[in-house]
Amino acid sequence: MKMNPPSTRNLAAERHASLNRRNFLRGIGACLALPTLEAVRPLSLVAAPTGAAQLATTASGAPLRMAYVYFPNGAIQPNWWPKGEGTDFQFAKTMLPLEKLRHQIQVMGGLDHVNATPGPDGAGDHARASGSFLTGVRVRKTAGADILAGVSIDQLVARQIGHLTRFPSLELTCDAVRKSGNCDSGYSCAYQYNLGWSSPTTPVAPEPNPRLVFERLFGGGSHGERAKSLELRRAQQRSILDFVLEDTKALQKRLTHRDRDKVDQYLTNLRDIEQRINRAEKFPSTPDPQQSTPGGIPGTYEEHIAIMFDMMVLAFQTDSTRVATFLLANEGSNRAFPEIEIPEGHHYLTHHQNKQDMINKVAEIDAFYLAQFGKFLAKLEATKDSDGQSILHNSMIIYGSGNSDGNRHTHVNLPLIMAGSGGGTITPGRFAKYGGVPMSNLLLSMADRMGVSGLERLGDSTGRLPGV
Amino acid sequence: MRKLSWLLLLAVGACLTGLGGAARADDYTESVQPLIESYCFNCHADDTTKGNVAFDGFKGHADRIADHDFWLKVLKNLRAEVMPPNKKARPTADEQAKIENWIKREVFKLDPQNPDPGRVTLRRLNRVEYQNTIRDLMGIEFRAFEEFPPDDTGYGFDNIGDVLTTSPLLLEKYMEAADTIVTKAVPTVSRVVAEQNATGREFKSADGDVNAENISFYKGATVSRTFAVKQAGEFRINIDAGVNGAFDFDPGRARITFKLGEKVLVAEEQKWQDEKAVNYSFTETLSPGDHTLTMMLEPLVPVEQKKTSVDFRLNKVAFQGPLAREHWSHPPNYDRFFARAEPPAGKSDRRKYATEVLTRFVERAFRRPADEKTIAKLVSIAADEYAQPGKTFEAGVSRALVAVLASPRFLFRIEEAEPGGGKGQFPLIDEHALASRLSYFLWSTMPDDELLQLAGRHELRQNLKAQLKRMLADKRSNEFVENFVGQWLQTRDVEGISINERAVLARDAGQDREQEKARARFAELRDIPAANITPEQQKELDEARANFRRRRGPTVELNGELRNAMKRESEMMFEHILREDRSIIELIDSDYAFLNERLAKHYGVPEVTGKDMRKVALPPNSPRGGVLTAGSVLVVTSNPTRTSPVKRGVFLLDEILGMPAPPPPADIPNLEESEKEFKDHTPSLRETLEMHRSKPLCKSCHDRMDPLGLALENFNALGMWRDAERGQPIAPAGQLITGEKFSEIRELKRVLATDRHLDFYRCLTEKLMTYALGRGVEYYDTQTVDDIVARLERENGKFSALLVGVIESAPFQKRRETGEHADLRSPDSKQQLVQSSKQP
Repeated sequence: MKMNPPSTRNLAAERHASLNRRNFLRGIGACLALPTLEAVRPLSLVAAPTGAAQLATTASGAPLRMAYVYFPNGAIQPNWWPKGEGTDFQFAKTMLPLEKLRHQIQVMGGLDHVNATPGPDGAGDHARASGSFLTGVRVRKTAGADILAGVSIDQLVARQIGHLTRFPSLELTCDAVRKSGNCDSGYSCAYQYNLGWSSPTTPVAPEPNPRLVFERLFGGGSHGERAKSLELRRAQQRSILDFVLEDTKALQKRLTHRDRDKVDQYLTNLRDIEQRINRAEKFPSTPDPQQSTPGGIPGTYEEHIAIMFDMMVLAFQTDSTRVATFLLANEGSNRAFPEIEIPEGHHYLTHHQNKQDMINKVAEIDAFYLAQFGKFLAKLEATKDSDGQSILHNSMIIYGSGNSDGNRHTHVNLPLIMAGSGGGTITPGRFAKYGGVPMSNLLLSMADRMGVSGLERLGDSTGRLPGV
Repeated sequence: MRKLSWLLLLAVGACLTGLGGAARADDYTESVQPLIESYCFNCHADDTTKGNVAFDGFKGHADRIADHDFWLKVLKNLRAEVMPPNKKARPTADEQAKIENWIKREVFKLDPQNPDPGRVTLRRLNRVEYQNTIRDLMGIEFRAFEEFPPDDTGYGFDNIGDVLTTSPLLLEKYMEAADTIVTKAVPTVSRVVAEQNATGREFKSADGDVNAENISFYKGATVSRTFAVKQAGEFRINIDAGVNGAFDFDPGRARITFKLGEKVLVAEEQKWQDEKAVNYSFTETLSPGDHTLTMMLEPLVPVEQKKTSVDFRLNKVAFQGPLAREHWSHPPNYDRFFARAEPPAGKSDRRKYATEVLTRFVERAFRRPADEKTIAKLVSIAADEYAQPGKTFEAGVSRALVAVLASPRFLFRIEEAEPGGGKGQFPLIDEHALASRLSYFLWSTMPDDELLQLAGRHELRQNLKAQLKRMLADKRSNEFVENFVGQWLQTRDVEGISINERAVLARDAGQDREQEKARARFAELRDIPAANITPEQQKELDEARANFRRRRGPTVELNGELRNAMKRESEMMFEHILREDRSIIELIDSDYAFLNERLAKHYGVPEVTGKDMRKVALPPNSPRGGVLTAGSVLVVTSNPTRTSPVKRGVFLLDEILGMPAPPPPADIPNLEESEKEFKDHTPSLRETLEMHRSKPLCKSCHDRMDPLGLALENFNALGMWRDAERGQPIAPAGQLITGEKFSEIRELKRVLATDRHLDFYRCLTEKLMTYALGRGVEYYDTQTVDDIVARLERENGKFSALLVGVIESAPFQKRRETGEHADLRSPDSKQQLVQSSKQP
């Protein structure tokens, strides 16, 4: 969970500071590599363009949410794609668990991520599949510290709408053990274990522990004590911040010239954090769900997935955030599935050499994952939003993978489902074939619906995705 | 002869400074201008402005001496003997000294009696320094390399004040890190259950051959470890273990049993998982004496059925107790922060104790004592917290420590000047600042207690020599070797650089183009959809595939082990010079190298066995010895599939001779473009380069770089010796731009170690100063550098002359009092920063 996004800062001040730093660095030489991210951030908050969609709000005034749920290793194609097209379609075997929610489902065909293909980089399709999924970029092939992806769509949206809720975004996973260093064929593990990137060099690490997610959202302790524990925590943060602020100001007075600039930089950034705490205090009542805090990570995978989805439902229901990502398992995950009596690893099975028994097992795993997703959607459909619609109606939830065929590592015609109606702006209940365009176009179209402005491009995008 | 010219130069220098400030312009017209006219005007005056350099383009004398950058270039070119060019008449040593001294005194206004220490911008701790400082201050490991974004580099180093910025993201990370570190390092209670920890490695079989770090499911084992119990009582045993299977499924199963003495605690069957945690916790009542915890693994599937692998791994056992409160003791790390056995009870006693604790900590964290007001504020933070119900005194203090670690006085190296210094004299930095400069220079971490105490008593300067000796003997000085060499010679990059071994070897053997063609054809065939492929094509595809497999035979693998050996070789070479106080010339040319079996084999040096890296006497006439032909340098200056004579040439100019080549102009074609001009045969790299630099635009720079780089062509991109490239014999002979000829690398090393040794002295001095000061070397440092080079020359290049020279220099010892000279840096000197930055 990312607590302190750039979006909730005083943008004008930040822009000023960051441009100053840039100019300074440009002075000492254009060759110094600067992450080329945020110098020209759209100033939609400062000068909202007239006529733009309202920020993360439906026409009926309810919150509009956006979420991405990622499953690894692609899907067995014949079992995945429905028969027919448009509104006249039949779910294939894997998607049968979604039949009851058919009216909220759009199966999306023909969306690609060309930057996940080997191109000049050779092996490493898994790292690229997850690395490009929400960024659209070709991630740098490195196992070292110089990782480089792009800012992901969820973080781009969170920057602009994050100030509306207590948390700009929520990042979840079921991977409790993270590897570091080299994972897939010379790619850093960071690409496989993260979906969100707040800067091209900074992945936003997802949280696997439901208890920590809950406490972060609502405070520690049991029902009734949580507000106080959050308040205490905030007071603590404030006393430390006050000390550091005073210390910095005292120091600044004694310094000259460039030394002073260094400390100025520090002070400006401290003030941003201060403002964020102030803003947090502005959200007067922190919701306190009438339920006990979850324990740690549950014993079975199925329970773990369920409780993480519950956290997402809770976060949306209490409007604690409007942007979420959930990495069910890292791309390339080789988890075994004893719960459905599959002892081999998922990744191993996906390289099935066309052996039918292996293919069947992968299809069962695909269906297992989709069934968990279906339960989550059912809960969202059953929960009423402030405008009387279901939360699912007021959401756009992508379920998908950055690999299409896990056996051959293809990245065209990605297995993607969009659930929800986006507050009435999208048309579910059909199987749409988009005919081979970048998935990045879809990501941009979703950002548009979130009311975000100024996003010209994302990764390999060629425009917007019409007719969603 | 060169030595003589130096002495002469110094003598003349001394005379000139005595002249005082009269008749500046006359000085130029009478003694300097005639020399410049006769040696330089031919090409650089009267509308002939080669290389855009004109000596007669100034509007007047004031204009002339205001252009520091122009004269710095003149000085550098003159000294490096690049100008006047090789074929033209050169000034005599006497004449050259005249020009040099005029530049130093009249243009740069350098005063040898009161050298300008220059200005170091406030330095933030970089990642290495932060990590080490936290280790020494807090007693825990913090992985700054994983938590913080990389630091920017300037002048080739990552400790340069000007470029060490604090981004919003980094500040956020600092705040979070302060909290994480304190939570992990500072105990919040005064007593806890005693705990003995054991790793799986400590669980051993009776014969000692097997340990429990990793045991195969197919190999039965019984391993144990004994825990001593002094007090009878209840104990808790926490076992942290796991199943660790290969990527692919394996049918292996095993029964795992844990026993304490003869009592079975648990017996369970385990099967394949690629990564699964297994945790147990038991509570047992134990009597005093030894208690043995035994783990048994019984295979349940015969090894014949093994498909891949699956292991049981015992990570850690925590043996806690006695659990009863009266037996509890201080938690680990307690004494590092808290001096007393227990905090006092009364309110004012507690405040007093908190003041003591925080004063002691803050002095170490800020590397200098803090004022009372600061301490009082911190005590309030602590008191506000420990006054809360259920909060301990220690928990309160730990909150205050978070504030300390988030303070700019911890994160930045604040320096103060000693009072006084006399009118017009630059003041010394105070002793606390000196302690920090020394410790971050030589240890990349905070000053230890001894340094801080000496600084506190104002006795550090008078004990400087002894402290230097102590600091270098301390193992923390390895940080200096690793970080300085890591960046100067780029050994840090050896581990990550991507080199395609097969392509390099194929190129040496002259097969690279064929292979390229075969690969292209293979890709073409492979992309034909299965439905359309003809039987002939299918056959060809199968053959191509088989060919590829066949070619995957034995090859040289630039694996982690070899890369690490290369990195260590260069580090150890430098360390040897440092620790034995040898001549730095041995870094250029030596009859020994640091090798282990793997690296020696790679180099073709016989009779080195075993994994240990050690000093090895090289066979007579070996091309190895010195950093130029060290694997690390050869590899980091190569491209993924071939050597790069240009990169190697630039490396030698930048890092050894201190003669940066101008940056390449825009839009230059790469070498592969030039290859296309050869119709009849596959050109060697030397031929391609010659074609490339036949264009006048490219010639002037390449004349400097290429001879150096081509001399190293006998070493391929993996750092191995070769006699041919693309089937053509290597031709390593060449001539330096300064005129010296050499037939191959051994002779080039000798030229550099003798004729050009002053260039190397100067270059390494500038590198070390940059690293030590955290700023680039500027025109106003010319005198300081000259003095250190003279000292090196006097003391036969001994490393101590360099190190002590830097530490005793004005830039290291003094500072500009306020910002009076702060803006003297010309914009051009900033330009230089970019050129020498290794990571543009």
